[in-house]
Amino acid sequence: MNIKIAVIEFPASNCDRDALHVLNNVVNIKADLVWHNHFKEKDYDGVILPGGFSFGDYLRAGIIAAHSPAMDEARIMLEDGRPVLGICNGFQILTEAQFLPGALLRNESLKFVCKWVNLKIENNKTAFTNKLNKADIIDIPIAHGEGRYFTDKLKELVDNDQIVFRYTNEKGAITSDSNPNGSMDNIAGVCNLEGNCLGLMPHPERASESILSPNGTTHGKIIFDSMIDFIKKRSA
Amino acid sequence: MPKVNTSGDELDVNLTDDEIERIKDELNRDPSITEWGMFDVMLSEHCSYKSSRPKLKLFEDAEKNYDYVLAGPGQDAGVIDIGDNYALAFRIESHNHPSAIEPYHGAATGIGGIIRDILCMGVRPIALLDPLRFGTLTDNPHSQWLFKYVVKGIADYGNCTGIPTIGGEVEFDKSFESNCLVNVACIGLGTIEDFKHAPSRAYNPRDYIILMGGSTGRDGIHGVTFASRTLTDMSEADRPAVQIGDPFTKKMIIEATLEAIKTGHVRGLKDLGGGGLSCALSELTGDGGTGASVDMGKIFIREPGMNSFEVMLSESQERMAFIVKPEGLEDVLNVFRKFEMAHAVIGRTDDTQVLKVYDGDNLVVNLPATALSDAPTIPRKEKRPDFLDDLLAQKTPEPSKKLDEIIYDLIASENICSKEWVYRQYDHEVGVRSVLKCGDGDSGILRIIGTNKFISSSVGTNSKHCFLDPYNGSKGGMIEICGNVIANGARPKAMVNCCNFGNPEAPESFWYFAESVKGMADFCREMKIPIVGGNVSFYNEDEVTKTAIKPTPVIMIVGIIEGEENIITLPFKDVGSDVLLIGETKPELGGSEYHSVIYDMEGGTPPNVNEKEIKLIWDFIFELYENNLVKSNHDVNKGGIIITIAEMCFKNKIGVKLDLNTFKEGGLKDDELIFSESVGRFVMETSKSDYDKIMDLGGKYKISVKKIGTTIMEPEIQINGLKTSNFTLNLKQMKHLYDSTIPNLMDK
Amino acid sequence: MLWEVEVVLENKKAARDPVGETIKRDLLAKKGYDMVTNVRSGQYLRINIESNDEQQAKQVVEKMCNELRIFNPVTQILTILNVKKS
Repeated sequence: MNIKIAVIEFPASNCDRDALHVLNNVVNIKADLVWHNHFKEKDYDGVILPGGFSFGDYLRAGIIAAHSPAMDEARIMLEDGRPVLGICNGFQILTEAQFLPGALLRNESLKFVCKWVNLKIENNKTAFTNKLNKADIIDIPIAHGEGRYFTDKLKELVDNDQIVFRYTNEKGAITSDSNPNGSMDNIAGVCNLEGNCLGLMPHPERASESILSPNGTTHGKIIFDSMIDFIKKRSA
Repeated sequence: MPKVNTSGDELDVNLTDDEIERIKDELNRDPSITEWGMFDVMLSEHCSYKSSRPKLKLFEDAEKNYDYVLAGPGQDAGVIDIGDNYALAFRIESHNHPSAIEPYHGAATGIGGIIRDILCMGVRPIALLDPLRFGTLTDNPHSQWLFKYVVKGIADYGNCTGIPTIGGEVEFDKSFESNCLVNVACIGLGTIEDFKHAPSRAYNPRDYIILMGGSTGRDGIHGVTFASRTLTDMSEADRPAVQIGDPFTKKMIIEATLEAIKTGHVRGLKDLGGGGLSCALSELTGDGGTGASVDMGKIFIREPGMNSFEVMLSESQERMAFIVKPEGLEDVLNVFRKFEMAHAVIGRTDDTQVLKVYDGDNLVVNLPATALSDAPTIPRKEKRPDFLDDLLAQKTPEPSKKLDEIIYDLIASENICSKEWVYRQYDHEVGVRSVLKCGDGDSGILRIIGTNKFISSSVGTNSKHCFLDPYNGSKGGMIEICGNVIANGARPKAMVNCCNFGNPEAPESFWYFAESVKGMADFCREMKIPIVGGNVSFYNEDEVTKTAIKPTPVIMIVGIIEGEENIITLPFKDVGSDVLLIGETKPELGGSEYHSVIYDMEGGTPPNVNEKEIKLIWDFIFELYENNLVKSNHDVNKGGIIITIAEMCFKNKIGVKLDLNTFKEGGLKDDELIFSESVGRFVMETSKSDYDKIMDLGGKYKISVKKIGTTIMEPEIQINGLKTSNFTLNLKQMKHLYDSTIPNLMDK
Repeated sequence: MLWEVEVVLENKKAARDPVGETIKRDLLAKKGYDMVTNVRSGQYLRINIESNDEQQAKQVVEKMCNELRIFNPVTQILTILNVKKS
């Protein structure tokens, strides 16, 4: 089958071309960069909301993009089970558009933070983690100023297995030192009940090529590979 | 300040009486008040380089002398051909005065300005580097406030626009306390065709002139005259010249501009920076040999009732002017419509060589297009300061502490300690090009996706050395910054500079400037490094004491590395390797961090430069690289060799056993050996089995190559062979001190 | 006596406010609220302060905001919205 992924370009998205590069040249899948006002869901098997500062993050990160017509299209995909992935600002948009529970607040340090962290896989049954093992520890970078995950329904999330990634130290221990932004319960990524929509603060597109990775790992690519695998299985 | 009068209006202008007479003579009439304002701006130091131009002539003609230089000084940015059909643009400039007053927006709009300069060359901005200078932080809330908000301003603006900040430099010195230095550099990458599409000239008559981006408001009127005066001259009332940064609009301008260029219909491009529309229109037409007719009514303004003076001189941010082929107008406008960017066709070019601006039926500006871009120069007096002899004669006191205590003090000092607090706030990885993580190398390294080619870049200088000897200090700065890219495996390809000095009307300040320019010019000519651009910021002085800042000729170098395997990094890789010191260590402690931190003194003998020796060292290093003989490399600078070695130990927690017996013969005292900042030296990690080969090569080049130690498993630096007693440094303790100084000052 | 002082910090009129502009242009106007003519953003602080009287509470707040650069007078203005017993 000819799989086709849309990477949405909102005004001031800035990791859109990075995700496009990784899909086209590393994962070797056909992906298009689509301007948010032009996006039509029927042409695509999956959609990625990339990182960046849509609409300058003015008012609140993700809130203005959440009202873009692109999100009406994405909602159709969400509802019929196609994969919807939000990375960093994309995660913020997904929570603001209420595709995903919770909210992303200013980092506890009040500073933007750019560094490599470790994540533990808490749920490997989503459309984006099916090629990972539960409790795997992966290397991946973060770069955000508003990434402190907050929810008033933590128990519900835990009970429903919606927590996909947690920040850990190198050995996989969930500690406050390894929490880069003060997220509740070290949460780095959550999914919807069906597992076809994932939002995460870290950047898998920056961790998909060994040349960019301090340890030479390409763990981020597994997230995109899982997404493609999910699409293939779904259509089979 | 002289006043000019025209039909009832009065204006204070920063022009000399000669300039005023010359303008009247050439026009054969009194200019309108708007025209006076335009002359005032265009002839300001900031736009016309009237003091600096005679000295900048010392820089050789890069476009003429180097076939790979596509654009040299005088353009918005330098551009070089780096092969594989790629053009690399880069530039550095200052935003000192605005940042000293409103650090957050001052720094942010500085980033905005440098991004526009690169964009003007038709290429995508792909990296930022920021050399910054403040007063010392300890017990100084004002310096802390400036530092905190300058960094935040850069971070918020750079991060939002999606351009990674891959390098920089921070220096703390009391001379920058009230006049901090915020220099901003940007690198852009595109194809040779992209670059050729977008000259900053309007060569053809009948093309459309489009203004795109932010609206024109009353903000920033006379921003450049502000940059051309000292802070001392200015009252609070002058200060609303500070602009508000809008990185969101800037990001949209980047994308809309690049997409417009791709239509093939854009024939000229110019950003609106200092001098606003006046500057942009006169440079486009004056340098292009055309004229233009502009309808002021078409310009979208932010506030009602703005007059032609305000519109022509507004320095509102985030605006670009496009020159577009008549047949391509609709295509270009459609791009701006897609991005929902405000835009207007404000006029057309013609062949009159006259710039005309209409306000309704009134012709408010009617000037020969070259009148504004053709500024006279002012010869300035130079005088070597009298205080220098005393400073140079200062002697290093006998060490008051043990050497190990001094090293611990140094590694924790503001100028040497880790700058992680700064770079963690910058997105240094967006764009998926950054292959070297901050702290792993002396320079920032970017890959060019789709090739096996890498760009290495570094910025900085040593203002303490320049203060004592601007000629050799500037050469030393060149050596240090070139050394940064060389340490990572790149050959320096080209340089741009940003000269930050005091009041050019003060002969001592101008002497520092003249000597620095001469130093850079001589060095670059000798080493065959083209100087492809520069920026001059004068009038940097202390608000209270009126003393000038330390002379700061900031240098930016770009280099190219062919092949991933040829990237060299700084951390020690293995235990049991040789540690070599390349280059000669001389008793040069003047302007060193050792003098400054331990004795609070600024004088002494600063490093001297011998280009012949430097050239041989560089050739030697590249021959080692070609033979794959280098595991790690780091250039020696602030703090001397032990600090350099410690930085190489930290990442992989590898220690070193040093044997300095080889220096026993020479006349160096222990503190001179350890803390000298002699320029052009490198510390390398090499394989034991390659020792003979390397020493033979060193002999061939007749340079100083000394084995000074071996890497060891123990996390310590053991120092043997000193004239006084030997000692051991604990790496964990050093790293702790290195990491905690700035967080302790800023976050506690 | 404990007082509550409400303070708003915003950009001077002559300085742009990209946040307010974007909310108006890219959210409100696009969603049909075109009767909105202007939006300005700012920061709101609610400060509880021990003081003998209302006037003194206000003065101390003004003084500390100036002294500690809680706002930058170069670009921003400070307005005390309200002072009441806490």
